[in-house]
Amino acid sequence: MMNLIAVGINHRTAPLEVREKLWMSEDEIRKAVAELKERVFAECFIVSTCNRTELYGIYRGGGEAEAQTPSDVDALKDFLVKFKSAGDSVKHEHMYHMISTNAVNHLFKVASGVDSMVIGDVQILSQIKDGFNIASEQKSTGTFLHRLLQSTYHVGKRTRTETTIAEGAVSVSYAAVELANKIFSDLSKKSALLIGAGETGELTAKHLIGRGIGELFIANRTKSKAEVLVAALGGKTVDFDAILPMLARVDIVVSSVTSDGYLFTKNDLQKALKERSHKPLFVIDLGVPRNIDPEINKMESVFLYDLDGISRIIDQNLQKRKAELPHVNEIILEELTEFSNWFNSLQVSPTIQDLRAHFEQVRQEEVEKNINRFSPEDKELVELVTKRIVNKLLHLPTTNLKNGNEESEEEKHKKLHIIRSLFGLHKVKAGTE
Amino acid sequence: MKILVDILRLALPLLYFATVWSYAKAFFKDSALAKRLKSPLLYVTLALHLSYLLIRTALFNHPPITTIFEIMSIISFSIAAAYAVIELLTKVKNTGYFILILAFIFQAFSSCFIESISQVNPVLRSQLLGIHVSSALLGYAAIAISAVYGFLYLMLYHHIKSNRFGVIYNKLPNLETLERMSMMSIVFGFCFLTIAIGVGLFWLPRAFEHFSYFDPKLIGTVFIWAMYGVGLIAKRTVGWQGRKIMILSIIGFAVAFFSLTIINVYFSGFHRFY
Repeated sequence: MMNLIAVGINHRTAPLEVREKLWMSEDEIRKAVAELKERVFAECFIVSTCNRTELYGIYRGGGEAEAQTPSDVDALKDFLVKFKSAGDSVKHEHMYHMISTNAVNHLFKVASGVDSMVIGDVQILSQIKDGFNIASEQKSTGTFLHRLLQSTYHVGKRTRTETTIAEGAVSVSYAAVELANKIFSDLSKKSALLIGAGETGELTAKHLIGRGIGELFIANRTKSKAEVLVAALGGKTVDFDAILPMLARVDIVVSSVTSDGYLFTKNDLQKALKERSHKPLFVIDLGVPRNIDPEINKMESVFLYDLDGISRIIDQNLQKRKAELPHVNEIILEELTEFSNWFNSLQVSPTIQDLRAHFEQVRQEEVEKNINRFSPEDKELVELVTKRIVNKLLHLPTTNLKNGNEESEEEKHKKLHIIRSLFGLHKVKAGTE
Repeated sequence: MKILVDILRLALPLLYFATVWSYAKAFFKDSALAKRLKSPLLYVTLALHLSYLLIRTALFNHPPITTIFEIMSIISFSIAAAYAVIELLTKVKNTGYFILILAFIFQAFSSCFIESISQVNPVLRSQLLGIHVSSALLGYAAIAISAVYGFLYLMLYHHIKSNRFGVIYNKLPNLETLERMSMMSIVFGFCFLTIAIGVGLFWLPRAFEHFSYFDPKLIGTVFIWAMYGVGLIAKRTVGWQGRKIMILSIIGFAVAFFSLTIINVYFSGFHRFY
């Protein structure tokens, strides 16, 4: 059984107002990890994002240990809460804990994006990396965590390359830009008009810029807000009253204002379309209620998507992502088995077991091959003598292995590794914890 | 030699099938192996197909343009070759399935029914005729391809318009690219038809005593050539684009197909050799 424990809080166990109380900055993580290393853990690291804060630690005292007692778990939860002075909001029920392979399984799930608020969110992997790097700086990581994080990154990478769980837009802004790429071939030769300097519009504009949009124009009722956005993102401001003439010039329109009535109608667009020789126009109406006359979708070369339309695309993509879950779970299981095997190969008991099994196998084979040289009365004796020989041979090595308490973990691992490779004990029995 | 021709005749439909299968697997199933193999497979098939056509020409002493099934093989080659060029120029590789399946069908028919004829109307042995017919067939193949892209464009256009988004549409290239590929095919088609008509007009009066400028096939082809010419000019000057011009590419192909079929079946003129 691995001496690993995970304690945490996430979007499943606590609402935002509660879990954000446990969010830790990089400095806070540094301090917390240093303290935990001093007081309790041989190795530990913390990962903290807006949707989760999790602590992973290995208790001191060697590889195999008894299960953590409930009071150990409570002590860790209390530590986190007290560290952030969040005693008023965060209660034990908001937090969860896992031990041993369950903790590893959980970390793999998190890294693969299946535990994220939006399934398939791959950002979490770099956040785990950050947490681990900070812990490394603080010298609170060792062989175990290094190998664990290696496997974790492997899970993340495999999930991304072998499954499509991270594919397809699942946010409004991304979906809008993906649609634009379905209509236009080269965004760098196109221009976009953003009407309204609010959050969703801003995100969409950011993504358009990320995809290399040629020109960006921003219009807002309060011109100063538009200017702030232009300063941040680039582009030019446009007077709110001068939107109509822009329709002849831009290829993409993103609208997210609150307005009574439509910003422009089919008739307004008629003239603009003629001026632009009916080149395709992509209009995204993110307003609630809608900003733009839905009739314009009936016009040739005009593609209009409102929030409903975009939500439908997002739902479809989410379904596709969910369908990848079995695939991801397969990968997690494979990596978990490999990690467990590695762990067990470093543990004394499984190694002794395997050594015994190896010797016993040789003994049995030789006895079977040669038993007919002996008379029936002597057969029992042969079994007895050969067993005694094996036990005697194994006695010293076994005792030495079991009693290596003064050695460092590294020396012990070296010894076990040498024994395994010398005797060819590389295949570890699956299921040994 | 004859053995080689027979081997190639049987191998070609299989090769085209394998190629179409690769493109289909790459498009519908995202198979990494298929994606790597499909283009090389296409080039190998094209090389062997060209060899087949040349060996047939040498063996039977005439270019393979004397019967409908010989011509089908050239049509198949033209479609596949035209697609290969488009793929190389636009770097868009995932629409091959829709085009090459036509090439497969034509070659399959040809391989099944093609005859080995050495005795042909002497006029059919001319090299110029070979160029004339090949250009005409390449031209029509390109026009057929433009119609396929036009069709894909319209499918994608309507899908995006209707506020839905299925898996297949996700894998098609975007609207602008589909339009560009269709237009590129039309330009190729127009150029080849120009060559075909040019060579024909230069050579035909010399080869035939009964040559007539009012031959139905000649008129049909010039009409189609003019139709596409006007379309290309209109695109440049008036700025037609998008759905309108894609519909025209499909109509253009339909007109070309039907007029040629009808002309071939019902009208003889001096143009008929089989």
